[in-house]
Amino acid sequence: MPRLTIDGRSVRVEHGETILDAAHRLRIGIPTLCHDKAFPPFTSCMVCMVCDTRKNRLHPACSALAEDGMEIVTGSPEVLEARRQALELLLSEHVGDCDAPCRRACPAGMNIPLMIRQIAGGNPGAALATVLRHIAIPGVLGRICQAPCEKACRRGRHDAPVAICLLKRYAADFAGGVASGVRCAAASGKKTFVVGSGPAGLSAAYFLARFGHACTVIEAADLPGGTLRSAVPEEDLPREVLDREIARIASAGVVFSCRTALGKDVALDGLLSDCDAVVLAAGVTDPAVLKAMGLDAGDKGIRLDSATLSAGRRGVFAAGAVAGVGGRMAVRTAAEGRAAAVAADAFLRGGACVAAKRFCSVVGKLEKADMDAFLSEASSGGRVAPAGGKAAGFTAAEAREEAARCLHCDCRKVESCRLREHSTALAATAARFKGESRLPVTIRRQHAEVIYEPGKCIKCGLCVRATEQESEKLGLAFIGRGFDVRVDVPFGETLADGLKKAARRCVEICPTGALAFERGDDPSVEAGNADAVGGDQ
Amino acid sequence: MDLKEIDAIIAVAGKTREATIPILQAIQAKYNYLPQEALRRVCETTEITPAGIAGVSTFYSQFRHKPAGKHVVKVCIGTACHVKGAENLHAAFHRHLKLADGEDTDAGLNFTLEKVACLGCCMLAPAVQIDNAIYGPVDPTQAGAVIGDFLASLESRGESGGDGMAEGAAGEVRICLCSSCVAGGSAKTRDAFAREVAALRLPVALRGVGCTGISYQTPLIEVLDGSGKSYRYGKVGEEDVRQILLHHFSPPGMARRLGAGCSCVLDRILTDEAWEPVGRFAVDTDGGGDGAYCGPQRRIATENSGEVDPLDIDGYIRLGGFSALKKCIEGLTPEEVIGEIKESGLRGRGGAGFPTGEKWGFVWAARGAKKRIICNGDEGDPGAFMDRMILESFPFRVIEGMCIASFAVGSNEGHMYIRAEYPLATKRVREALRICEERGFLGKGIMGSGHSLSLKIVEGAGAFVCGEETALMAAIEGRRGMPRIRPPFPAQSGLWGAPTLVNNVETYALVPWIMRNGSAAFAAMGTENSKGTKAFALAGKVARGGLIEVPMGITLREIVDRIGGGVPEGRQLKAIQVGGPSGGCVPAHLADTPVDYHQLVSAGAIMGSGGMVVLDDTDCMVDISRYFLAFTQMESCGKCTFCRIGTKRMLELLTRLCDGRGAKGDVEFLEKLGHSIQKGSLCGLGKTAPNPVLSTLRYFREEYEAHVNGFCPAKKCKKLIRYRVTDKCIGCTRCAQACPVDAIEPKPYSRHEIDAGKCTRCDVCRQACPVEAIEIADEKTASGGG
Repeated sequence: MPRLTIDGRSVRVEHGETILDAAHRLRIGIPTLCHDKAFPPFTSCMVCMVCDTRKNRLHPACSALAEDGMEIVTGSPEVLEARRQALELLLSEHVGDCDAPCRRACPAGMNIPLMIRQIAGGNPGAALATVLRHIAIPGVLGRICQAPCEKACRRGRHDAPVAICLLKRYAADFAGGVASGVRCAAASGKKTFVVGSGPAGLSAAYFLARFGHACTVIEAADLPGGTLRSAVPEEDLPREVLDREIARIASAGVVFSCRTALGKDVALDGLLSDCDAVVLAAGVTDPAVLKAMGLDAGDKGIRLDSATLSAGRRGVFAAGAVAGVGGRMAVRTAAEGRAAAVAADAFLRGGACVAAKRFCSVVGKLEKADMDAFLSEASSGGRVAPAGGKAAGFTAAEAREEAARCLHCDCRKVESCRLREHSTALAATAARFKGESRLPVTIRRQHAEVIYEPGKCIKCGLCVRATEQESEKLGLAFIGRGFDVRVDVPFGETLADGLKKAARRCVEICPTGALAFERGDDPSVEAGNADAVGGDQ
Repeated sequence: MDLKEIDAIIAVAGKTREATIPILQAIQAKYNYLPQEALRRVCETTEITPAGIAGVSTFYSQFRHKPAGKHVVKVCIGTACHVKGAENLHAAFHRHLKLADGEDTDAGLNFTLEKVACLGCCMLAPAVQIDNAIYGPVDPTQAGAVIGDFLASLESRGESGGDGMAEGAAGEVRICLCSSCVAGGSAKTRDAFAREVAALRLPVALRGVGCTGISYQTPLIEVLDGSGKSYRYGKVGEEDVRQILLHHFSPPGMARRLGAGCSCVLDRILTDEAWEPVGRFAVDTDGGGDGAYCGPQRRIATENSGEVDPLDIDGYIRLGGFSALKKCIEGLTPEEVIGEIKESGLRGRGGAGFPTGEKWGFVWAARGAKKRIICNGDEGDPGAFMDRMILESFPFRVIEGMCIASFAVGSNEGHMYIRAEYPLATKRVREALRICEERGFLGKGIMGSGHSLSLKIVEGAGAFVCGEETALMAAIEGRRGMPRIRPPFPAQSGLWGAPTLVNNVETYALVPWIMRNGSAAFAAMGTENSKGTKAFALAGKVARGGLIEVPMGITLREIVDRIGGGVPEGRQLKAIQVGGPSGGCVPAHLADTPVDYHQLVSAGAIMGSGGMVVLDDTDCMVDISRYFLAFTQMESCGKCTFCRIGTKRMLELLTRLCDGRGAKGDVEFLEKLGHSIQKGSLCGLGKTAPNPVLSTLRYFREEYEAHVNGFCPAKKCKKLIRYRVTDKCIGCTRCAQACPVDAIEPKPYSRHEIDAGKCTRCDVCRQACPVEAIEIADEKTASGGG
């Protein structure tokens, strides 16, 4: 039996086992894309590179046999660079956005296309749950948000953007703002304070609670809401809507302590001695006062550490105008509140401070053919205006009609794509090996459940082999060779003919968004992901 | 469509997956493309799946899914043809055939225009094949004439007679019939000899023989006058045949002789041709010419070249053929044979140079009831044609080598994989196999021994990557020719899982000589780690190119100067490209590098399979790199990321450089990506694909930098140059007449001008100009732009 070392640890393997098998025995992770246990190795993506230091040779771990005496390293700069290059070469021909333009434009990073699909599918409760993963006050923002998402909406270049903000408000108002399936993480035993209850403070508090931490909001005024209550006109934001949002936040476990001012009624030192973390979200504050509290503050307020969002004292975080200029979009301030909660959560769990910037593929400039592909399944109707006026919002029928206008230019596997996962982990970029030209956006909708986007295919052939294994009559085949090789149904038949029984298997085995369910990622995948680690940034 | 025809094809080829490629080839032979209805029928009636047939039929470049024209024009874009202007030639045919942009077939379905990686006629560069006729060298102005000649020949084509062997012949005329010589007109010459010999009733035997490798003199004939003297004539055309015959032989009877002389004179009068003494054609046997060409060579794989008819098994036996096999199976154990091959120091001639004896030892020792051997005849290096020539000229030698190998490793079943572009080689080998079976050199109980071997031909379908052994085996098994990771090596688990020996054609061809003469004799030639001889296809900018076989250790300079006769006058040796798309350029100052596996690698090249292209100062190294990379990129199987996308990105970058769209940092980027592809690719094709770029970057970096700045020092890259008429112009209008795009207005007796906007830089005008009044300037300087 061969014995080898991986990252300095010795392991004995059976004859015929690969380096990847050996690494699994040691629980050492190696990224793969083209590999699946159900099939013999194919050796296509080359993302699983490791180095045998004896000969300084790179091997694809999924296929190279573990040999006696090998001295494998999996994390050297050379190995990581090789993996990154393999990913970047794949990304250089990748056609498709990970996140849709609307979501990229949203300061809160809300999963807008998923919300719209859920509304279109007649499930506003699920849509609200989707919104609440990133936005604590959707009813408020559904009324006062300046909607940068709509300026980015691709549909806007065809006729008019999808009425995202009104759709969000529809979801938030549906059934009195009760979302389906929203849970808080198990209690962490940690205690936190949030100072201030404007959009930043409410958001920070809500998400600290969702992440499982006990949270008390300190508010100097009589009622929580900050500038939302004091500065926004009643006709723009009816106060019962604000109260309803605060009630939902309270129902997540947040305790509000009003008529309590920091620096007067309580001191920062006092709060810190009584809890594990503090998020400052008290709005515009005199820098001298902040400095006096021992925080790192300049003319524009608290200077946050860009990586940890720390305010200059251990366990203190900040969001909103206290850490920058005031008067910005409410949604941005709300997003900062969430970000502070994420940073505090990471701090409380002793993990890496803040997750690395998530990789996001971008199609770039659209040609007519690309636009046509996006338009192919959307309703052709114009933007729907609420019959009862803007103040009334959408009726259910109007919401569904408007939702049908969405082009769904996001990736259906926005959470489960392994190309994205590895690209994020290795900080890969698509620009490095950018090609002279790219394929047009192509979205093949020939199947009841599955869509195929050839531009996202990495030619690993897992689906080809899956259809063969499932004895699919037509199945999928490699067509052509070399750079232009593609995967398609033989004889130019439709996807429905090719995938009569292996559709689910193909979607699940496809490492990218090339083959996906039309309805998108299983929402539970995203929820689990988001709640466990503080969610996508 | 009559599906019975498809069923008949299946009945012959079989119903298993391994029959996929033969079935597709048969369908295409019948319909000249692959009608979908036929493919569906195949799936209905065999175990071949739709995904399988779709994958295979789109992988190999031989297969077409759209109807082709009645005739196929194949412009060779092999290395030698490339440096002699194949791209311009292709464009000329495209224009002449009035093909629409992006189309390869004319509306009337008469002609289909294709590019082909290598026709193996490097000495006729640039060469064009129309159906089975090869033309070369063809310059772009001749596209119309070539098509015209081809159409005319269709009408007058008649089957030529037999080989014209006369009973009781007093003399003999030997004509090389390899593809190069046939392309150079040797078949026509042979027919002319047959006609004349019959007409003159001369006691002369005509014999087609294997290649001598002196391609630069093609068609080459040798006359044995009956007294034992031999005379060689090069470049013999039909019109010279009678002269040569009458020079050496007398027709029976005075009257005949007179008659012959009369008609000959009459011919000349009628055709009003200048009468040239026949001596003009005689190949100079001492000094400078043939003698020098042959002098430094040492022929083992190509032993007895030009002496025996390729399919004359008795001739082969007379010269020692099959004695090595006899020696092995009658007197030696497999271990002893393997020991002898090990002792000889023979290394694989396919490119990588793995020790042959060791490989045989692995297969011999491998567990497995059934073992297989394969002859890799998928030579695909665009600029090499040694294997083709060996298969065409010495099929028995290769078969004998395989017999010995099969005896040594204990295999009874073998495949000979021959690439699609070599129909003559396939035909000869097929016939040779039949003859060997008939004579007991193949089949059950070879030469009365207990050893048996059956050999089968597998025809490739057009994929360079199938030269890689695991891809080759995939092709034989009827799959897409995609390599897999090694280990397991074929010696452990090869064709259908059996331990398999894979050697290349030249390697097998060397084996009989080694076993006959002993390993010591072989090991006596060469250097410490490179023994014996190596065949090369010498081409490019040399006076005398051709197929050569040299002892290891000879320097590149000796090959270029002594065998090749040096670069043409007035030009300077710039580099020698060795190893084709996997190899590199050895610069002139390192021309004293010996032919040796290690030393060639140190110099940045590889031994390779035998491509050797000589480059002079008019060759642009960036263009050469781009050419090779375009080749490997096109031939990438598309499996692994680094090769599939990496080579594409490198090619795009090189194209930008050649187009003057380079940017600072491009050269460094290219270098880094090249190293990544070397390290990260799955198989040899990808791992070696960056070599041509990296080796030229090593020695000619300043040329790359010049391209970044918008200049092509060799004045080769079209976007970076401009054609100009100098004041030497005499106003003869020839350039204007020759220009295919009307970029020159004819102005008799005054200086002409070239419209740079219309000009396609095809070089036709410069070649047409009788007074060298057309010069090539830098585009950047000429246009005054920055």
